[in-house]
Amino acid sequence: MTLDPATAAILATVERLVVEVAGDEITLAGPLTLTTSFNADLELESIEFVALAEKLQTHYGAQVDFVGWISTKQLDEIIALTVGDLVAFIAART
Amino acid sequence: MSFTEANGVRLHTTALGAGPPVVMLHGLLIGSLASWYFTAAPALARTHAVRLYDLRGHGLSDRPASGYDTTTMAGDLAAVTADLAAPLDLVGHSYGALVALAFARAHPDRVRRLALVEAPLPPATFADEHGFLTAGPDHMVAALPPGLRDAIAGGRRQAARLLAALRALAYETTLLADLRAEPDLDAAALAAVAAPTLCVYGDRSSCRPAGERLAAQLPDARLAILPGGHYLHLDAKDALTALLVDHLAEPGDG
Repeated sequence: MTLDPATAAILATVERLVVEVAGDEITLAGPLTLTTSFNADLELESIEFVALAEKLQTHYGAQVDFVGWISTKQLDEIIALTVGDLVAFIAART
Repeated sequence: MSFTEANGVRLHTTALGAGPPVVMLHGLLIGSLASWYFTAAPALARTHAVRLYDLRGHGLSDRPASGYDTTTMAGDLAAVTADLAAPLDLVGHSYGALVALAFARAHPDRVRRLALVEAPLPPATFADEHGFLTAGPDHMVAALPPGLRDAIAGGRRQAARLLAALRALAYETTLLADLRAEPDLDAAALAAVAAPTLCVYGDRSSCRPAGERLAAQLPDARLAILPGGHYLHLDAKDALTALLVDHLAEPGDG
């Protein structure tokens, strides 16, 4: 699947920041895709997911209100989040 | 990502929202600031400046070999909040609630309102309730609560990292000894805590008698019981969040 350039750029940023948070062995199973799950596939710890959110906030600034987005979600929705969900959220606000 | 130096220990902190200050403290072992970040903190951040931090030994904070008593950890909290002039609201889960209570006793003028979620009393009962802590490294997984044990059996990375963190805390720090040595709070100690206090406990939690004692012995406290066990921020996220929002919206003198 070919991604549009804006989506591909956000995906690359998310992957870079995931590696910063969790180490480069996190991509041993392959590069991140839009269907990669943070919990089931990457097995990020919850505190690592917070660290990722902090890095995204620093990178994109206040218009990407990650905490406001999380506040609208139930726990099972947060656990089921995919890279694509996050990329789409960022794309809608940048 | 922000870090604060407290007692020579580097503590990971994060800030959400704007308004009057609230600091939220998580529970020991499987807790981190993510415990509140993904549950009640975002709702409180709509009206408050919410500050979260990883307790020493947890999350992204340093893991020093000692200092897991509530007095030292209340000192950590003092360092994390040293830049805040206004009186604070404090929300704590489990041992984090006991740290909040220790801070309120040491600095009564700095605390406006308290919310104690599943604070265990006497504190040493916490170690007894978590039998896996005393099971020894080879038996730790077998003695974990069933939900966690299943997650570890079925998992890979998360499981390995959780187990490594638990082992390090249990066997490379004084955390367990500090827990067991933590003195109980008698009626006179509790009578000195003037801040309006909400105590929230689970109807299936073994800590519930502690809530009944706190509500009876704190001068200005009320007890709320929610359906759930010890991890109420997960078992009853929305109901707990609503209680916290209401409690912190009220004036300081109750």
